[in-house]
Amino acid sequence: MDILFFGKLGDRIGREVSIEPPPAGCTVRELRQLLASLYPDSAEELTSPSLKACVDDALVADDFRVGAGRTVEFFPPLSGG
Amino acid sequence: MIDSRLTDLPIDPTDELSRFMAKLADEGAVVSFAGIARPRTRDGVDVEKMFLDHHPRLTQRSIDDIVQAASRRFAVSAITAVHRFGAVSPGETIVFVAAASLHRRAAFEAADYVMDRLKTDAIFWKREDSVDGSRWIEPTDADRAERARWSE
Repeated sequence: MDILFFGKLGDRIGREVSIEPPPAGCTVRELRQLLASLYPDSAEELTSPSLKACVDDALVADDFRVGAGRTVEFFPPLSGG
Repeated sequence: MIDSRLTDLPIDPTDELSRFMAKLADEGAVVSFAGIARPRTRDGVDVEKMFLDHHPRLTQRSIDDIVQAASRRFAVSAITAVHRFGAVSPGETIVFVAAASLHRRAAFEAADYVMDRLKTDAIFWKREDSVDGSRWIEPTDADRAERARWSE
């Protein structure tokens, strides 16, 4: 499963990482926990509600299920203008 | 004429305004806004550069949505928004917005609305690189309050 990070997390972890999800897939909530264990320095941000998860260009809730072959993108709070 | 554009090249606000005005016909009002990268952080430290991270598809879509919403909400005949991404040096224009209407109020309000929404709803992540290090900017309470003015 490919994971993309933007903004602060993109700097800290990298734009794109590949992880092995559980064989039966997992929820976005479980994915956040898995990533938090892989990147403990960013655990607080990874499990924060201010970090939005996005699949197929649409925001998804924490109970959304994802599996191998999917790409999940994580958006920290926005700042434009 | 409703359009928006992302660019990693310098924006010249006077060129943008001339191009925008050249396409107008019967409008009686044009309002334009340029947002400039500040030379100092809030703490007064010199900024070396800003970096605007963006999404390959959703950033353009978010700006399109904002200018389309402005065109439905206000009696404007034309709106343009141009936004930088990537590295931006202090003094360079980060964002340019122009709106045109028959009478002035709609153009003022549309430009104001587009800017407030770009600050909080456009898909960008802004980093300030100064001699003291790098800091990712998040919307302030003031930005959210400005955005909330348009929620009713």
